Amino acid sequence: MTTPKMAEVLPASVIVPHGTVERGARHWSHDYVVMVRWHLADLRIWLMTLTAVQLLSGVGFVLGISLFFTHIPMTAALFVSTGVPVINLLMVGMILGPQLVADQRSSGSYEYLRSMPVSRSVTGAAWYTVCLIGGVPAMIVSLGVARLRYDLPLHVSPMIVPAVLLTSFAGTMLGYAIGHAIGNPMATRLITQLLVFVVFGFAPVMFPLSQMPRWLGAVNWWLPFRHMAVVMRSALTPGVHTAVMSGYVVLCVWAVVCAALAGRALGRRP
Amino acid sequence: MTAGVLAGRPRHLPQSELRSGIGYWVASLVTMMRFDYGRMRQWAGMMIVIQTMMGAGMALLYGFFYPHITAMRALYITTGAPTLALIPLGFVMVPGTVAQQKLEGTFDYIWSLPAPRSAQAASTFVLYTLLALPGSVLALLVAAWRYDVHLSVSLLLIPAVLLCALMATTVGYGLALAVSNPIVTNVVTNALMFVVLLFSPIVYPASQLPAWLATVHYFLPFYNMAVVIRAGLTFGAVDHLTTSFIVLAAWAVVGAAATAWVVGRRR
Repeated sequence: MTTPKMAEVLPASVIVPHGTVERGARHWSHDYVVMVRWHLADLRIWLMTLTAVQLLSGVGFVLGISLFFTHIPMTAALFVSTGVPVINLLMVGMILGPQLVADQRSSGSYEYLRSMPVSRSVTGAAWYTVCLIGGVPAMIVSLGVARLRYDLPLHVSPMIVPAVLLTSFAGTMLGYAIGHAIGNPMATRLITQLLVFVVFGFAPVMFPLSQMPRWLGAVNWWLPFRHMAVVMRSALTPGVHTAVMSGYVVLCVWAVVCAALAGRALGRRP
Repeated sequence: MTAGVLAGRPRHLPQSELRSGIGYWVASLVTMMRFDYGRMRQWAGMMIVIQTMMGAGMALLYGFFYPHITAMRALYITTGAPTLALIPLGFVMVPGTVAQQKLEGTFDYIWSLPAPRSAQAASTFVLYTLLALPGSVLALLVAAWRYDVHLSVSLLLIPAVLLCALMATTVGYGLALAVSNPIVTNVVTNALMFVVLLFSPIVYPASQLPAWLATVHYFLPFYNMAVVIRAGLTFGAVDHLTTSFIVLAAWAVVGAAATAWVVGRRR
């Protein structure tokens, strides 16, 4: 009686896939490198689109804004030039990322990617790295063009490092949460489009807060974009800046909450 | 028995002979419009919302970029709002819909219907032109309320808006037909939107552009759309109106010709 039972158990244990996540720093760094390479190879088709979008939104905005004025005031030029880097940083993580996930959901490769034996922290960290790779060079190009075009008094302080890292991280985690926690690809695309609209025009990223209605500015205090612009601008321009500390705090809160939401969605078994 | 089957047969066969004539064309147009509207109905509300958001939203958004909104700027932004609402419908949604139809195979199905293809295309033009109107009006009303601009509306507005909507639809349709790859269509329309929103003198005077760019815009449709619509909403703020009408009409003809060329070809 026992023998057939064994026979039933044995094949079952044989076909269980080697799917357990390996723990430990060595495995983590190995998985991380593999995932970064995976993402970069996966994105190579997107690279053309990404470059075009980054150039249009970065260089296009920096140059195009001067057409709005007969003579562009220095403040306007400075705000646009220091706001565009924020958009460059958000482009991959917050705007293209969720759409990519939506495409994967539509085409079915999402489930496949979820089945890979890497931990959630590795997946997140690798994606964040890819977002930085896609954003930082574009940011530098935009700033360079802005400097050449408007002869701006830019002064890059060491605070640019935490500002870029946190801005990109908060944006990436927000996009991550939108992509993974919202199941419907159509809703993901719609929300992303709406976010583009908000970041470009309804958040004080590319123009001073004083130029928008007071209530809209107050609403923006609760959103991350205003604070991203504040921390980036404080690291790029000389002088005393207000609300930088609170900006960092709000961004940290957004990043942590979004990372938790995305992590929970990724950890759930479908 | 045999005679009965033979007598019944022609009734089961499709009528394959080519029918023509004005009466048949008009009947096909009406049927195609009912068919298209039936498919479009579920999206019509959303299209109007998107259009209003685009027109009104952009009008509000442009205002934020200016430290001081002078009367002249307010007038330009307000009268540019309906143009901004018309452009995405014709240049983004029409090509997008056609691209979607091509991917789904609906496009080939429609071509296989026993209606003249010119009637099929005309049905799309008429429906989208009509659909473009509510969103543009709403965008104008929101902008006029926000900037407190007094407009002097003239009868010229009717042909201006109709021509603009028709032109945008025909050019969008021609673009979608002429470019066979839907992904390329998508990239082209998105790039176009960006160029329109930043580098086209719709909400600011053409005199603010570098001379070469202004010259380019005299031949492109966007600036001319803004001119004719502004002429219908203001008094004496616009010159070279006839030229703009001619340029727009020429673009509409080009769009229709591109459509006719693709539609008339056999694969």
